[in-house]
Amino acid sequence: MSLPCGTRNYNYSEDMAIVRTKTHWVLLIGFLVILFTTPLYLNNYWLGVFNLIGITLIAAVGLNILVGYCGQLSIGHAGFIAVGAYTAAILTNRLEMPFLVGLIGAGVVSGLIGIIFGLPSVRVKGFYLAITTIAAQFIIIWVINHWGYTGGFLGIKVPYASIGGLVFRSESSQFYLITIIAALCIFFAKNLARAKVGRAFIAIRDNDLAAEVMGINPLYYKLLAFFIGCFFAGIAGALLAHWIGFLNAEQFSFTESILYVGMIIIGGLGTSIGPIFGVIFIRILQQVLTVNLVPFLESSFTAFPSGFATGVTPMLFGLVIVLFLILEPRGLAHRWALFKSAYRLWPFSY
Amino acid sequence: MAELLQFIITGISVGMVYALIALGFVLVWKSSSVANLALGQIVLVSSWFTYAMLAQAELPVYIAFPLVILFALFLGWVIERFALRPLIAQPILSLITVTLGIGYFIEGVITFIWPWSVDALPRLFPRDVIHIGPAVISQEYLWVIVICLVVFILLSAFFRYHRMGIAMRATADDQMAVQACGIPVTRVFSTSWMFACCVAAIGGILISSIGGITHGLVETGLKAFSVVILGGLDSFAGAIIAGPIIGLCESLGGGYLTPILWAGVKDIIPFVIIIIVMVIKPYGLFGEERIERI
Amino acid sequence: MKTKRLVTIIVVCIALIVAALPLLSACDGGGKEDKTLKVGITTPTTGKAAEKGAPMGHGNLDCFEYINNELGGVEGYQVEVVWRDNGYDASKVVTIVKNFMDEGCLMYTTSSSAMMTASMEIANRAGFPGMAAFSSPIIYRPPQHIYGQMPDYGDDFLAFAKYYLDKVWKGSGKPKFAIHALNNSTGKGAIDAALAYADSLGIEILWDGQPGKAFEHKADSTSEMESLTRIKAMNPDVLYISSTPAPTALIVKNAYELGIYPGITIGSGHAGFTSAFVDIAGADIAEGVYGVFPTVSWGDDVPAMAKMTEYVQKNHPGDYEKRNMDYITCWAQSLIVAEILRVAVKNVGYDVLAKGDAAAWKAIEEQGIQKLKDYDVGGLHGPVSYTPGDNRLSKSVRVFQVQGGEIKPLTDWIDAPVVKYEEFDWFGK
Repeated sequence: MSLPCGTRNYNYSEDMAIVRTKTHWVLLIGFLVILFTTPLYLNNYWLGVFNLIGITLIAAVGLNILVGYCGQLSIGHAGFIAVGAYTAAILTNRLEMPFLVGLIGAGVVSGLIGIIFGLPSVRVKGFYLAITTIAAQFIIIWVINHWGYTGGFLGIKVPYASIGGLVFRSESSQFYLITIIAALCIFFAKNLARAKVGRAFIAIRDNDLAAEVMGINPLYYKLLAFFIGCFFAGIAGALLAHWIGFLNAEQFSFTESILYVGMIIIGGLGTSIGPIFGVIFIRILQQVLTVNLVPFLESSFTAFPSGFATGVTPMLFGLVIVLFLILEPRGLAHRWALFKSAYRLWPFSY
Repeated sequence: MAELLQFIITGISVGMVYALIALGFVLVWKSSSVANLALGQIVLVSSWFTYAMLAQAELPVYIAFPLVILFALFLGWVIERFALRPLIAQPILSLITVTLGIGYFIEGVITFIWPWSVDALPRLFPRDVIHIGPAVISQEYLWVIVICLVVFILLSAFFRYHRMGIAMRATADDQMAVQACGIPVTRVFSTSWMFACCVAAIGGILISSIGGITHGLVETGLKAFSVVILGGLDSFAGAIIAGPIIGLCESLGGGYLTPILWAGVKDIIPFVIIIIVMVIKPYGLFGEERIERI
Repeated sequence: MKTKRLVTIIVVCIALIVAALPLLSACDGGGKEDKTLKVGITTPTTGKAAEKGAPMGHGNLDCFEYINNELGGVEGYQVEVVWRDNGYDASKVVTIVKNFMDEGCLMYTTSSSAMMTASMEIANRAGFPGMAAFSSPIIYRPPQHIYGQMPDYGDDFLAFAKYYLDKVWKGSGKPKFAIHALNNSTGKGAIDAALAYADSLGIEILWDGQPGKAFEHKADSTSEMESLTRIKAMNPDVLYISSTPAPTALIVKNAYELGIYPGITIGSGHAGFTSAFVDIAGADIAEGVYGVFPTVSWGDDVPAMAKMTEYVQKNHPGDYEKRNMDYITCWAQSLIVAEILRVAVKNVGYDVLAKGDAAAWKAIEEQGIQKLKDYDVGGLHGPVSYTPGDNRLSKSVRVFQVQGGEIKPLTDWIDAPVVKYEEFDWFGK
């Protein structure tokens, strides 16, 4: 990382530290304090939005590992989230297992399904793999719809999450649960990128033939990437299931998958902080459009055929994705890095 | 037995619908190696524009259809010029995502201009059916088959004999060499996108006269991907042959497997075929194998 | 290079402002001094169901405009409508309903059954009452806090089957019904009703290979020839389609092409039986198709028709041109909501309701919704009453038929029986 002037690294642990200087520690602790006291000053609706952001963040971090670090195009992420959600639902509703078993089970099952659909990645890449993951999503949704055990078309009810005797019923309790899990996932992902596995992923992304020649086993690492990415998706799905309370396959559409890819690209592909930016940006944009902008437009421009303003949401999203790709392909994370270095080097920030 | 004939005829005609959309996809891939995932939405917006011309502005058919073609050409030019040209040398994830973003944007524009999501075109074809033995086929599907074959022949001839077609094939092969020869690469891309949107528009008119204009056209566009994968991403002949194959698999599979297995098996068959093809023969029946070197 | 930087800075600034907007509105909070009664309404005004969702939103909002402006609100209190478009997106509707609960709405309504199934768990957990215009048995069996405004897709099928047996069936023995169902709760409602009640009615259901498996299609199907070929081989008397307009039209067209229609009888559930269906199929092909709808049609002589026609012609002439029935459904829904509010205010007084919290929701439910008795909804649909153990507020439908390109009513109100679905073990939990 870029350190302020005068700070030197004298041993290995200082060199590898994520939080290095006192300023870093102060900022981190301050941020954590603010984060964990949010339930005190936000109302229920905004807590709900933050919960949704947290859940999406976990899935986006998984997708970032798969696409950003390992370069395996996957446009079917909503399908794997659905697998996790339904696994948790079946385990807690039909088999009446405790919440934690459902959570881990959801992750594992989703990871295994990810491995199965990731097998073609050994033979194909690029666009072909993207199409395979799209097909995977549709197949998963079809199986969910037609398998009676999952409730079929009607859906399935999911009980409250509970650990021991503590039931997560209110929005703020779920906020703590989701935030802690999300923080753990981000920490894991950041360390993954710095470890041997992460470096293998990056090597495969940059040139998988050369990586193979160097001795990295592509089959093992590509499938591992799929497993980890889909494991996170499964965890996110399980939390989503308990948060909504009622699952229906229509909730996991192809549009959601596109949105996830958009999120990690806007945030910054292959960085650890990118998914955070991307998720927050897209989810808040969605809320602002749905709750504030669209009714405002609808009531101001009554001359147009009604419902016209709701077309603004997909238009804006599509435009945002396209503009980010054209103007800032490295995403908001790059802008954030520029901002940090500009701050550090000021007044010589050119 | 009569059922079998009906299944076969239905399968081939539905497959040709997919093949028509697939031709548009192959066209763009063949000239610029860009995967156009917004194809379904382009088909949809052309159908809505046709509706606007025929039903809202109430123009006669011989004025409306050329206008639709012009609109499609314009749309293709706009997409290529503003969204794809800035991304010429970017990695493939960016290109795929930008087409996804364009598709999403087009969906928003459609909702903006025509907020009611379903409508019908005025009837374009006579409603009587043609009987082939004990089976029937509606005239719309016959037109689909004929037009699809015509488009295929035109495109293949264009790519083989016309200067611009040859230039497109050369650009797909090696962009830098083509630029060194003095061929304007940007014009090649523009032309290929314009033609692709044109083909998509024709497909849209035909499909929406069969089943009305609904959001389902986008999903039909996704099924066309299975045709493209099976036939090979850069082969017109592959698209024409794989289309009926997928249609037949859907129809026969649906007809005979549904009573035995689960309802709705027919919907999943194209996607299962994609996975099978990926595992066995990733480049499709007629696709060109890409050899990669370090 | 400089313009690119400038543009990126502008884009980032806009993004930050957009991100900061909600924080401003979050701090703003309440502060309204007028005495209003708040209700939340969410419709799929865009997305896959927009051709039904948009007119339904119109009907809701126009009716409340009428109530507030001309009737002076409910018991003198203006009704404040919080309207959100859910875009037929399930996770959006969850956040929308949470928003409703936060804003102090007293109850909420949805138009589509899929949206209600997505949000009902949240509402049920919090005790927030909701009403669904189009519903499906899973929404209110077992009965909790969600109420169905009109009979559901299962009731449609049972009512149509009763009508067919009484008025159309001329043979002896049991007529054979084939059901073509859309692959979501719309179709499933009819299938569940058939499974539960077919024997009691005296009809035989032609299943697709295994009992309980109906013929299924997707909303974006381009051809149903192969399923209809199988149906043709089974020689049905009736084909019942429980779906949305476009697939219904496609199936009828395919049935015509295969030569089985005209010949058999075709009936449709209320979700698909609209003018869009007649347009897409073509008036000549759709001639004679029966359909079930739970409301009256335009031009019928009922008390509420005059005001409704006036407002639709003023605000949304396009809906009137197409004689859109969903508009009627949601005008009626708003009338019912106003009646609920009126009964609740009469019973518990305004101050309990003004708080908009869990106590207010309980009051609305127990003293408002559950005290509805024979409210006539201006004659727009069957009378609305609450019976304990059954969360459907109105249980009757009418049978219509396409004649000369228009949808004409054939019968008066037919009641659909209460089916205790949760007693069957195949019913989803």
